[in-house]
Amino acid sequence: MQTWDPRQPIYQQLADLLAAQLLDGDPPEGQAMPSVRALAGQHLLNPLTVHRALQALGDEGLLENRRGLGLYVTPGARERLKAAERQRFLVAEWPRMRDRLRRLGIGPEQLEWEPRA
Amino acid sequence: MTVASQDTLVEARNLSVLYGARRAVDDVSFDIPKGRIVGLLGHNGAGKSTLMKAMVGLARPQGELKVLGLDPWRDRVALLQSACYIPDVAILPRWVRVDDLVTLMSGLHPRFSADRARQLLRRTSVGLADKVKTLSKGMVVQAHLALVAAIDARLMILDEPTLGLDVLSRKAFYEMLIEEWCDGERSVVISTHQVEEIESLLSDVLMLNEGKLVLAISLEEIDRRFVALSHDAAVADEMAAAHPLLRYRVGPGPGGSAALFDGEPPAHLQALGRRMRPSLVDLFVALTRKPELDRTQF
Repeated sequence: MQTWDPRQPIYQQLADLLAAQLLDGDPPEGQAMPSVRALAGQHLLNPLTVHRALQALGDEGLLENRRGLGLYVTPGARERLKAAERQRFLVAEWPRMRDRLRRLGIGPEQLEWEPRA
Repeated sequence: MTVASQDTLVEARNLSVLYGARRAVDDVSFDIPKGRIVGLLGHNGAGKSTLMKAMVGLARPQGELKVLGLDPWRDRVALLQSACYIPDVAILPRWVRVDDLVTLMSGLHPRFSADRARQLLRRTSVGLADKVKTLSKGMVVQAHLALVAAIDARLMILDEPTLGLDVLSRKAFYEMLIEEWCDGERSVVISTHQVEEIESLLSDVLMLNEGKLVLAISLEEIDRRFVALSHDAAVADEMAAAHPLLRYRVGPGPGGSAALFDGEPPAHLQALGRRMRPSLVDLFVALTRKPELDRTQF
């Protein structure tokens, strides 16, 4: 069964997980999110926790409430997520990676950009 | 019936259940509001099954107990219209076919829906024509839940429902419970020893130790009240000096230790460790271990 990191609120971890799925187009923009109950069953979480995670995604503008229909993936949500991920990479991951590359003496010309066939 | 009592499904005040001179349940008081998923935790013999029996009128308690506004011992028949129960000793007759059970329940229970039961059974690998004796243990429990969840009740009481099931069957069981039965109005009380597995499912916890209620709290409140600090071995003495409820090892790898505090730990300690969400298992160990078994964790 799923284990959750004790250093972070569970709802935040679920929100991150759902955001990663949205980035992969699951569900696609403009489509309905699974219901709170379905997500709660799937991840074995209390429905209140799921509700909080969805609310967090709604606050970030990734989901929108369609009256009487439930939550839908906001058009443009993937682009937004991608922009945020890019920013996170550039600020948090890249400096560490760059330092490591420097230490190892690896320059851009030694890095393969095209995946091998 | 007042609004308050409609929102509170179970009300216990100074409730005890005696077996001869032994107090199986000893002076417990708690409420269960609607829309909750309550974990009833305790070691073997702590009084979990007895408390559940009292809630459905199968054990005669002292003190005050109202379930769905009724006295379970006096009004058991009326209560069981809207409360359902799977005891830890539940069995289905081996020779019976699943569709016979659906027919039987239709005749027995006025709030049972045969259509709903068949719909729930379709989620499982149990066929209507199967005989119980041909089903695996996990399938029997799934069938049992499908039958009970087809009752339009407000309260479900499950005593060790997943005992002896493998991990996939346990997951399937809780999935059906959450997706098909819990609707934000109904409440479930579950007793189990697999605390880690259902921790994230729960909204509330009742913890029994030798018949006494040592904790009745929501998970949210646990996060606010209890603080776990993970720390390096080098500061273990400082942590111990502040008298935490429990000290334990965390995570894989050496050096990971944690101390669990009831309330905010002193500021100088918070600087030495990292805050973590206290796990229910650690809390359970801290609050229910017997003093005579008390041992140093390190």
